[in-house]
Amino acid sequence: MTQALEGIRILDLTWGVAGPLGVLLLAEHGADVIKVEPPGGDPFRGYPGYKVWTRSRRSVVCDLKHDAGNDAFGRLAQTADVVVESFRPGVMERLGVGAEALADANPRLVYCAIEGYPRDHPLAGRPGYDALVQAASGQQWEQPGWRPGPIFLHMPMPSMGALFLAASGILAALHARERTGRGQRVDTSLLQGAFLYTTQIWQDLERADESFHAVMAKTDPPGIHQPMIYECADHQYLHLSVMSGLEPTRSLEEITGAPASPLQIDMIDWSDERRAELAALQRDAYKAHDRDEIVGALQAANYAVEAIVPAHEQFSPPHPQLAANDMIASVHDPDLGTTTQMGVPIHLLRTPGRISGPQPRIGEHNDPIWGGELGYAADEIAIITAAS
Amino acid sequence: MYALDDVRVLDFGQYVAGPFGPMILADLGADVIKVEPVRGDGMRLVGKPYFGSQRGKRDIALDLKDPRGHELALALVATADVVHHNMTRGTATRLRLDYEACRAVREDVIYCNCYAYGPEGPLSHLGGLDPLFQASSGLEYDAGATHAGNMPLYYRFGMCDTGNAMLSVVGVLLALAHRDRTGEGQELWTSLLDAGTLFASDALIVDGAPIERPRLDPGLHGLSAGYRLYETADGWIQVAAIGAEPMAALRECTHAADDDGLEDAFRTRTSQQWRSTLDEAGVPNEIPYDPDAGFGALSDPVNVALGVATELEHPTMGTVRQHGTLVELSETPGRVQGPPPLVGQHTQEILTELGLGVADQEELREAGVVTWPGDDYEERYGEW
Repeated sequence: MTQALEGIRILDLTWGVAGPLGVLLLAEHGADVIKVEPPGGDPFRGYPGYKVWTRSRRSVVCDLKHDAGNDAFGRLAQTADVVVESFRPGVMERLGVGAEALADANPRLVYCAIEGYPRDHPLAGRPGYDALVQAASGQQWEQPGWRPGPIFLHMPMPSMGALFLAASGILAALHARERTGRGQRVDTSLLQGAFLYTTQIWQDLERADESFHAVMAKTDPPGIHQPMIYECADHQYLHLSVMSGLEPTRSLEEITGAPASPLQIDMIDWSDERRAELAALQRDAYKAHDRDEIVGALQAANYAVEAIVPAHEQFSPPHPQLAANDMIASVHDPDLGTTTQMGVPIHLLRTPGRISGPQPRIGEHNDPIWGGELGYAADEIAIITAAS
Repeated sequence: MYALDDVRVLDFGQYVAGPFGPMILADLGADVIKVEPVRGDGMRLVGKPYFGSQRGKRDIALDLKDPRGHELALALVATADVVHHNMTRGTATRLRLDYEACRAVREDVIYCNCYAYGPEGPLSHLGGLDPLFQASSGLEYDAGATHAGNMPLYYRFGMCDTGNAMLSVVGVLLALAHRDRTGEGQELWTSLLDAGTLFASDALIVDGAPIERPRLDPGLHGLSAGYRLYETADGWIQVAAIGAEPMAALRECTHAADDDGLEDAFRTRTSQQWRSTLDEAGVPNEIPYDPDAGFGALSDPVNVALGVATELEHPTMGTVRQHGTLVELSETPGRVQGPPPLVGQHTQEILTELGLGVADQEELREAGVVTWPGDDYEERYGEW
């Protein structure tokens, strides 16, 4: 079946989180992605999530630091529509394969760089590991936790933002190329990825009153959502949310045994004691029920609520919505065996996405690409793929 | 020229997951028309999240339930490349604005629905907000170090909303790439649920058992002795000693015998002193920046100069600061096209483009089918 990016070739020189995952969104909609790895392989391969994040692509090895590998990469880049890399600024230029050099040989090339920081930022060139950018962006100070001070975000949030910026920037540049006939440079960074997730909490309006800035301000306990996490009888947790868009068919009190919170506006003149009393009643009520029982009863009555689970429990036992919407995939990995992992998270109905294969082994496609396609002989491939 | 300046997007979305994607498309140059209820988008009252998802759009206020309003909406669909919304399952059909209805007036339309739960399955009729999907994907479990006995912890960034919206941006652009090549439009969807799953996609199961993933310590400092926050004499420092060499350098420059020793060592000197020492030793580090509830970060001259933060002039709220365009295209740069619009700010302009004369426009406004800002604006909508 036709896929959206059929005929688009992407050379993926990225490592870490943002690059591999950003490329994944394109790979599983038909792009021909070739992961270009140094001898010995991408140093992040040992990270477990890499089995998911680098699937659906082929792998070649070449050492950009010696002439044979560098020349071979240059030839491969002439066959590509997109090159994506996440080296520190200037590394590709020093190797003679920077955006300008590659565009000279292939003017239709879209060149995407994912850095830690924008090129002219004072921290540009410093290491851009995700947690460092969490720190530098202000995200760590913005998140409340179990103690004062900045909080380490388990989810690599700057990277999880930059992946979308890279993928959308590349696609926008490919669309522009339809009209101009030329590629261009696309730049984004983990810092910009961190800012993507500030839109609901960082707004500065000159003439806004306090109530504007009070909504979604950092508070302890954090915000309106954290207090709606409840512990149940079986010491499992659930998260209740404020609306499902549908009218409840039974009252919250009837289901849980505790009175529901009145509307904010009706609680305005409540004392702190009275609020705490109600909150305690509600907490106690959930402790009388096992989690799955009460979550099921609430959902059946049109409440918005979810069980809080460890990450692997989204797949097994499967969340019914992930199962019903083709979001749980079984992938046979040549090293691990049968794996259960995320499906394809963008659902195009005419040109469906698909997982085209497991994570490739290091240099698995050296022969078909360096040999079959570019015509290198076996001894030449040995040199291209060897460390300098 | 802008990358998407030949693309028109009709945005019927509300809250965040709906409108944020079209806003990003506007930043890339698209002509985005927000189709807003005559009474105003309910989200306007919520403040920050509303303002963060609406800039750069034109706004027509339209009663979709009125037959003439519906007719105008379809007339707009006929001019649109993309129709985008986050209505719950069945709502668009009830409004006669589902894919089939839109396709009937615009054969090659790209039609995107950002769901909460996706179109199939036992919960697909329910809407839902970001916290549900931080729960379902395991993000809250990991964030709070619940494995160690803590409560789960909600991330206040609301990133399942934003992630759903960004999946839709990528999806729309994928569909556009297909249309560029074949002339064919299509329907697509994304969901809050899938965004959460993407964020926790390193959780995989091998032969029935979950693989080991890095976990937070109960004090939420980090994932290992080399990749964590340390408290210093006057604050904090984030260290990223990834690999054997930086780790050895970390131990050497702190003179710490073991991991507990590292904690003690860091408390003896200030963050700035440690930054110099670690830099010299080749140990990656940063001092966590306190963004002052965002006000500091958004007015930081560095962020402003780089366009990471942007400044807009809003007709009633004055100067507005928020994040800027976050991806740079060298030949077709992005741009922030303007502040969040008032309710119906561009109604007249858009109706004129559809060929309606002034008298017809006034009549529709009299009948409550459309509206645009008048002297009674603040009375009707407040300052938003």
